[in-house]
Amino acid sequence: MGYPYSHDLEVNTLLSRHFGDEKARTLEGWKELGGYATLPRALEMEPGAITDVVKESGLRGRGGAGFPTGMKWSFMPQEPTGPHYLCCNADESEPGAFKDREILRWVPHLLIEGCLIAARAIRAQHVYIYVRGEFFPFSRLVTDAVVEAYEAGYAGENILGSGWNCDVTVHIGAGAYIAGEETGLMSSLMGGRAEPWIKPPFPAQAGVFGRPTTVNNVETLAAVPMIVAEGADWYRQWGTEKSPGTKLWCCSGHLVRPGTYELPMGIALKDVIYDVCGGAPNGKKIKAVIPGGSSTAMLTADELDCEGTYEGMAEAGSALGTASPIVMDEDTNIVRAMRRIAQFYAHESCGQCVQCREGTSWTAQLLHRIERGEGSLSDIDTLYHLCEQMTGRTICPLADSVVFPLRSSLDKFRDEYETLIRC
Amino acid sequence: MKNPIHPAAASSQAFQIAELRPVERLFEDDEGKDRLEKALSRYPEKRAALLPMLGYAQERNGWVSDESMEQIAGALDLTPAYVRSVATFYTMYNKHPVGRHFIQVCTCISCHLREADEVFERFLAETGTRAGEVSEDGKYTVIEAECLGACGFATAVQVNDRYFENVTPDQVPAILDELD
Amino acid sequence: MSDTTNHVTLTIDAVEVTVEAGTTVLQAAEHAGIVVPHYCYHPGIPSRPAQCRMCLVEIEGQPKLQPSCVFPAQDGMVVYTTSETAETARKSVIEFLLLNHPLDCPICDAAGQCMLQDYAFETGQLRSRYDEAKLVLGRDRVADDILYFGDRCIVCTRCVRFMEELAGDNALVVAQRGHKAYIDTFPGKDLDHAFRGNIVDVCPVGALVHEDFVFKARAWDMDSAPGICPGCSTGCNINIDVVENQIVRTKPRLNPDVNSYWMCDYGRRHLVMANRGVRTEAPLIRMDGELEPASWNEALTWIAGRLEGGDGAAVVSAGAANESLYYLRGLLSNLGIDDGTFRVEQGEEITLPGFPKLKLRADRAPNVTGAELHGFKRSDTLPDVPGGGVLMVLGDALAEAPADYGANAGFFLYVGSQLYPATANATAILPAASVPEMEGTFVNYEGRVQRFHQALRAPGVARPAWMSLSRLLEHLGVGEGVLDVRSAFQAMAAGTTGMEDLSWTGLGLRGELLSEVGQPAVAVE
Repeated sequence: MGYPYSHDLEVNTLLSRHFGDEKARTLEGWKELGGYATLPRALEMEPGAITDVVKESGLRGRGGAGFPTGMKWSFMPQEPTGPHYLCCNADESEPGAFKDREILRWVPHLLIEGCLIAARAIRAQHVYIYVRGEFFPFSRLVTDAVVEAYEAGYAGENILGSGWNCDVTVHIGAGAYIAGEETGLMSSLMGGRAEPWIKPPFPAQAGVFGRPTTVNNVETLAAVPMIVAEGADWYRQWGTEKSPGTKLWCCSGHLVRPGTYELPMGIALKDVIYDVCGGAPNGKKIKAVIPGGSSTAMLTADELDCEGTYEGMAEAGSALGTASPIVMDEDTNIVRAMRRIAQFYAHESCGQCVQCREGTSWTAQLLHRIERGEGSLSDIDTLYHLCEQMTGRTICPLADSVVFPLRSSLDKFRDEYETLIRC
Repeated sequence: MKNPIHPAAASSQAFQIAELRPVERLFEDDEGKDRLEKALSRYPEKRAALLPMLGYAQERNGWVSDESMEQIAGALDLTPAYVRSVATFYTMYNKHPVGRHFIQVCTCISCHLREADEVFERFLAETGTRAGEVSEDGKYTVIEAECLGACGFATAVQVNDRYFENVTPDQVPAILDELD
Repeated sequence: MSDTTNHVTLTIDAVEVTVEAGTTVLQAAEHAGIVVPHYCYHPGIPSRPAQCRMCLVEIEGQPKLQPSCVFPAQDGMVVYTTSETAETARKSVIEFLLLNHPLDCPICDAAGQCMLQDYAFETGQLRSRYDEAKLVLGRDRVADDILYFGDRCIVCTRCVRFMEELAGDNALVVAQRGHKAYIDTFPGKDLDHAFRGNIVDVCPVGALVHEDFVFKARAWDMDSAPGICPGCSTGCNINIDVVENQIVRTKPRLNPDVNSYWMCDYGRRHLVMANRGVRTEAPLIRMDGELEPASWNEALTWIAGRLEGGDGAAVVSAGAANESLYYLRGLLSNLGIDDGTFRVEQGEEITLPGFPKLKLRADRAPNVTGAELHGFKRSDTLPDVPGGGVLMVLGDALAEAPADYGANAGFFLYVGSQLYPATANATAILPAASVPEMEGTFVNYEGRVQRFHQALRAPGVARPAWMSLSRLLEHLGVGEGVLDVRSAFQAMAAGTTGMEDLSWTGLGLRGELLSEVGQPAVAVE
């Protein structure tokens, strides 16, 4: 299943089963479709048992980093000395990524159920669903669903008579990509600038309001109910040992059928692009793909035969990230595309670290100048120099994120840069 | 007062809307007091209600003025300077009034690959504005936006709290007509 | 396991150093005599954002460079602060900072005392290869007396965090984000905090400047002397900056037990204003009804010949040095005068919340405790002068005295630095050096004896009061005149209860706390 197109691949879809069905977003409709069946079971399990199932399933964070979710949950204190918090990261702002919005708008109750089960596992009593500000239509839908959940006794006090209290608050942002970084999100939630902080302290030690906190992505949390219901082995029927389960691929750029598709982990990138999405429109050849959202290294058309897993994409010299391929056809001016990407990072830098706030802006300016035909060869050297100086030096990886597409574009499409310089 | 909202919804009300209900003192009418109280009830620290209150100011007045910031500071025991620091960090809080229809055209990479620049230029031409300006009749402001999270539906355009997707340059006049 | 008494041994740049557990690598490096360049870290400001990225060092076993200002020192750790990777990282921070930084050095007050300049020269990163248009922010006012040059700012946020954490007033903030970030106040709400001047001190570059210092003096033209602020009884340790015998600036000097790294704005302004008024420059003696200048020897001989015991009154300033008070007490004893008072201006007490020991204290004078130790009593009024009796006045005590005060005295000796209407009644005037023109000690509110040093030349032949008073005693045949502060201090300490074990050298630049404060001095015989 996918949205807005479907595909022929045999995969028992978990997350996308009801994409496109408006009935699924109401509590009544959702229950008719079998929703909220897992929450009562989870309420009878020990929190540690829920975490164990998720650990065994091998579910990895779907926000881009791919950190094992069960392990992240296990960092939370087993014996709380005060409140614990769960933050659902719905700040989807990575260029190319648009999968979480589909969950928010088609199956908000799936997300809420996942949040509540996760909160139970980490012994939390408040879930904050942080939705990016721009997503007004979707945060509205989630909010309506949350209110329905309260009214039906799925959220709030004494949930389903279990004696457990858990609040859910939908908290919307106001336009900052960096609020999608987990400590940036927490800073923003607490009423501040979305400025990431150094770790330690780690969120599981001291997150929001100084309390142990777990931050999970929407897609991650949406997978939880079914994993708990069907078990770890069931989830592992798809994908690889290291990257089990299914993944929402959101495909954009020059494609015949751009959109979101739920696919088994392990599918080859080229199959996603050509078979599922139909390749580039108008019979054009593909020149380059940024496979994981803009913060990943560019691959040429010859490099697309790689496994769509965390380990497979890393081996191919890029990253799975959010599985958001941005496809560029043969007519694309790579320098121009790279300039637009750099502009994004320069705009979104929070400004704390010197390398990021100055480096991203300098990168964008240099690329602009080269694009205008006013560049020189030494500018390419400067860009490489910037790649080095912006890697591994900062509080958060925003600066590193611009380096991935930048360096790969310089390595693989140097001729395009040089063409603009010579003429 | 608008229909009473559930406390869980106090921090997620849309704040970029066409129907403004301007108010000078944010927290002296029933709605403002109610919103503040409900937002505060969701967090253990007052400061966390800051984004929801900045949103409320813009929901009512269309933008966040210095006066609004001072009032919010007072309501949350923060300094006005701190409120300003947070308000200026985020792009969606308008520091000046904008047109009734705030048109944000995504020109980030996925939309950029699919004529976003042309869509943007077309909006400017059709509204007779320069980027960021309020049109003479007060109806429109057009700006570029960074990724709106609708990359597979390029070009994405946000008008106030609505999304228009798969926008091509020649669809622009029709979109403008649809807006009142 | 809490192990604050545990120590760890690590190697930094091949130097082995042992520090308490919990110490950061940067602090441990300090112990080893190595300064790791840094901006956003400041030892007096509690928060450590680790955002300037200047202090990144290479640590064996760590995949990435680590910010030494927050990374805890561990046993067996091996650190390289000047390895190629660390140096490259450091140079790149300088290069990035130089992107938009205007080359204002020729007109910037910070030149010569600027951490950007210093590190640029140290690392050899003297320019950036940036060839695009620089961001221009211009000049803004953040307080009545403090200007902000946005282009020069490196957004280290020391100023913001000083105001929030030390001053307890979140009135200075970062506005905007990314490379457009800058420091600002809320419109219409400039800083007016009593300790705001410290933001200029913490600014590593010339982004924040005092308006009354801007363009006034170059760092390399200034001479500096360590002093004690004479503004109130706290006795903040200061440095007095002087150009051509004018005080151009006062800055706080670190004393962890008194004022940490800070001082208040009242104190900052105080000394610069100190040398107003009409100064005494030469001894004056009343010959034929008129005050006439005389040489020191003439004057001292003349006074010694006419001073007689009997009824008398004494007034001192609570800003007089211990040594001067000691010798005055000796003179008074010799004349049979046992008492003596001082008045001290009162003002509002203002605390620095983040270091509450530091307050602008109500007693607006530096040596109230010292005056009390030497037997002088606090009073709201000037003492009555017994007709025909002796009146001794030491220091700046007659500022608001009525013009006829002392006119009825038999002998009115004034030892002070400024002339007032009442001093026209004096029988003899001995010109005294003001606080910045001499050396001596004060005792602060807490009983800490602290040295202050000479920053200026006194005008004319004005001399420290302890010098002239001790010499007067010598002319009277009682005691020995002293010409240097060590001897003066030694005599004073030996003759003052509680100070017997102190030495001038031992006081050093941090002073020493008296164990018992409040015991009256024993007069010199």
